[in-house]
Amino acid sequence: MPGPDPDVPTIRFSQRRLDNGLRVIVAPDGLAPVVAINLWYDVGSKHEPPGRTGFAHLFEHFMFQGSAHVGKTEHMAIVQGSGGVCNATTYFDRTNYFETLPSNQLDIGLWLEADRMATLLEALSQENLDNQREVVKNEKRQSYDNRPYGSFYERLIAALFPAGHPYHHTPIGSMADLDAASPDDVQQFFRDWYAPNNCVISVVGDVDEAAAHGSVERWFGRIPANPGLRRFESPTLPDHLGAEVREVVPDTVPLVRIHVGFRTPPFGSAAFDALEVAGQILAGGRGSRLHKRLVRELRLAQDVAFFSLPMVSGASVCAGWVTVRPDVDPAEAEAAFMAELERMAAEPVSDDELARAHALIESSELAALGRVEEVADRLSQYATLFDRPELVNEQLPRYLAVDAAAIQAACAGVFRADNRAVVTFVPRGGDQRDAEALGADAADDVEAVA
Amino acid sequence: MTDLAYLAQRPGAGEPRAYQFPPFEHRRLDNGLTIVSAHLDGRPLLAAQLILEGGAGVEPAALAGVTALLARSLPEGTQDRDAVAFVEAAERLGAEIHADAGWETLVATAEVPRRHLAPALELMAEMVLRPALPAHEVDRLREERLNDLLQAAAEPRRRVERAFSATVYAPDVPYARPLGGDEETVPRLDRAALADRHAAILDPRQATLVVAGDLSDIDLPAVVGAAFGAWKADGPLPIREPLPDTAAPRRVVLVDRPGAAQSEVRIGHVGLPRRIDDFHAVAVMSVILGGLFDSRLQRLLREERGYTYGIGAGFDFRRSAGPFAVRTAVQTEVTGPAISDTLGELRRIGTVPISSEELAEARDFLIGVFPLRFEVAAQVVGAISGLVVHDLPDDELDRYRPAVAALTADEVQAAGARHVRPDEASIVIVGDASAVVPQLDVAGVGPIEVVAEAPAPAVV
Repeated sequence: MPGPDPDVPTIRFSQRRLDNGLRVIVAPDGLAPVVAINLWYDVGSKHEPPGRTGFAHLFEHFMFQGSAHVGKTEHMAIVQGSGGVCNATTYFDRTNYFETLPSNQLDIGLWLEADRMATLLEALSQENLDNQREVVKNEKRQSYDNRPYGSFYERLIAALFPAGHPYHHTPIGSMADLDAASPDDVQQFFRDWYAPNNCVISVVGDVDEAAAHGSVERWFGRIPANPGLRRFESPTLPDHLGAEVREVVPDTVPLVRIHVGFRTPPFGSAAFDALEVAGQILAGGRGSRLHKRLVRELRLAQDVAFFSLPMVSGASVCAGWVTVRPDVDPAEAEAAFMAELERMAAEPVSDDELARAHALIESSELAALGRVEEVADRLSQYATLFDRPELVNEQLPRYLAVDAAAIQAACAGVFRADNRAVVTFVPRGGDQRDAEALGADAADDVEAVA
Repeated sequence: MTDLAYLAQRPGAGEPRAYQFPPFEHRRLDNGLTIVSAHLDGRPLLAAQLILEGGAGVEPAALAGVTALLARSLPEGTQDRDAVAFVEAAERLGAEIHADAGWETLVATAEVPRRHLAPALELMAEMVLRPALPAHEVDRLREERLNDLLQAAAEPRRRVERAFSATVYAPDVPYARPLGGDEETVPRLDRAALADRHAAILDPRQATLVVAGDLSDIDLPAVVGAAFGAWKADGPLPIREPLPDTAAPRRVVLVDRPGAAQSEVRIGHVGLPRRIDDFHAVAVMSVILGGLFDSRLQRLLREERGYTYGIGAGFDFRRSAGPFAVRTAVQTEVTGPAISDTLGELRRIGTVPISSEELAEARDFLIGVFPLRFEVAAQVVGAISGLVVHDLPDDELDRYRPAVAALTADEVQAAGARHVRPDEASIVIVGDASAVVPQLDVAGVGPIEVVAEAPAPAVV
């Protein structure tokens, strides 16, 4: 096989920290007349105290409801009227806000971000709170409740992290908690977490490096820091669940689907890198092991999946599923799925499998590094989570350095029966005896902690 | 408190840097295959699409889905190697190679690092020109399609799309049916049917290969010639007939899902083909109505009412008239009011003048995001493929921004009046009939057809 692809670009960037603590990263790239702005605030669903789940995400919605100099819904209107696109997402570890604009509109994007970082509370109203609470509830209905198998994510995560652990709940949170939210709660959340010293901003694209640093300084440099910023403390967590967790969920689904999740070492560890390569070999396309064995050869499965969720505080997750064909015994499909995972732990992958996985990962990196929005997000990510934006250029070599022994060792440490949660969705109205045979106890929701 | 008064001064825009859609050039191989290529500096992940004339729109109705199943079966083994060997060969190149059926065409796609372009195009040619279509793989993919139909019926978003197409088009129109075929036609699809379909569309004189990315130091004619040069044309050129796009009478259809937390709603009618004189006015009108984040529909139903997480509207431009649809999911309890609000906005788009702010935002949005749409090679290939499929002139994309910039508010409103027809709009819902029907009666949308469906079948 040929060596590493000489065409993989090196991202050249510079960084500095403003007096108020804001970390600024600028990466010029003149290929297209566009610029991506990306802010990571170091606050996510893991920072939410008990009884306040879903706040980080609800708050993300407020960030589009106006600030001192921007009216309600005007944020999006200004970005779009400037010829750009923008969005935001909330995850366990962080909340990110980003826009991509024609490069001559850099300042308008920076101004919008600075105005809401500095003055959001001046625009917060009970009316906006009520409205966005309804929007978020409809987001939950649309993305989870009214979707077959839609609750798998919440259930797996709750099974893999014990009650009280910051990762036990997913970012969408509890609707009851959102109903209890008052304007005071939301204001406090802003004061606690939204400050320049809890943020990284990356600017990537068709900009002059020094001028871009100057623009960021001009718009953000006078926003006061939060001197009382708290540091998140990861609670300690055993490496493994300790016992298998099983749950059977009757749902309006035509095909049985078995979701499987494992607790893993955290994102950033060498073992997590190895598990990502393992995921590529297990389910990264039609040449992968799970697809070959369960879909193609044994014809037990309609589809299969396997992937990792990057989480940094003490532990992370990898998970997958098998959707079982109508005439197949789900127990047989589950056994075949687990057998493929166990084979990863029992014997090294072949040189050819590893080479194919590396080639596909390299191509996906080429694709990712060709988009300014993705480069900006990665720079912010690596700076926020690991204090190392250089990882934008180091992550691919790290994947390519993963060898068969590392994959086998990582899989052996994770793919254990005492370290997995199994959530099986069965058609509602199916024969109850079948549900029992799959391990259902009473009809209650299992609180999934071993 | 630090003085933040400087934030009151909103900055203006700098001088825009010129942008042009990447130039592309045409060539022809001796066998008639057209090659279109665009060199993009610094884009080492290349994209290639081979466009074959003859999509699902022209397949026999009794064999609906045969083109889609053919596309899925192409990578499942060739005359040179079996399915697993084929996919592994592509993976060794870091390449993704597959095929998809559309209504008009069947398209083979490859994405590959530039150093592996030649072997990736050889694999693409092997897949398209010499597929084995092994019976055991075709049978498996057919079963997977039937299972997928089961899954689609259970997924409200997919169920409502199928019901919407079947409602707005007359029954014999291809666009009325699922592109991948249905429960009646898919069981008829076998190796022989796929092989017939393959023979019918395999004509280099009607095929175009589009390649984009960093092509420096690549002799593209030689590389393409080595892969596709032996492909020979056969017989007379078929005549291309436009597909029928007859509309069905307006209906209100509710697919019952007892207990559903939301109603999936589609409101619309047969829309427009791609080749129309007022395409740019329709584009601007559509984003004002339901394309921008603060479109009229979003402002009312999301930001004011809180009925939904999102609502959009737009035209699906095809060779013949594709559908115009408003798409949303709303809380069950407000389904009736949400539909009334939506119909109100469909009336207003043709009757209430477009404000100067609305026009400026929509226009500047479409002009500004234009370069963002073509950042990577696959996007450039997709745009050029659109020109090929719709037989548009080479300067169509260069004309886009000036044409949008020149539009007036009156022209945009006129496009709304002409092409958005709320009184002809069917309403299709997947939701809880017991909760929704009384609301629809209040809203006065006309007679409602409720479709009761058995719950998902028991398994094992």
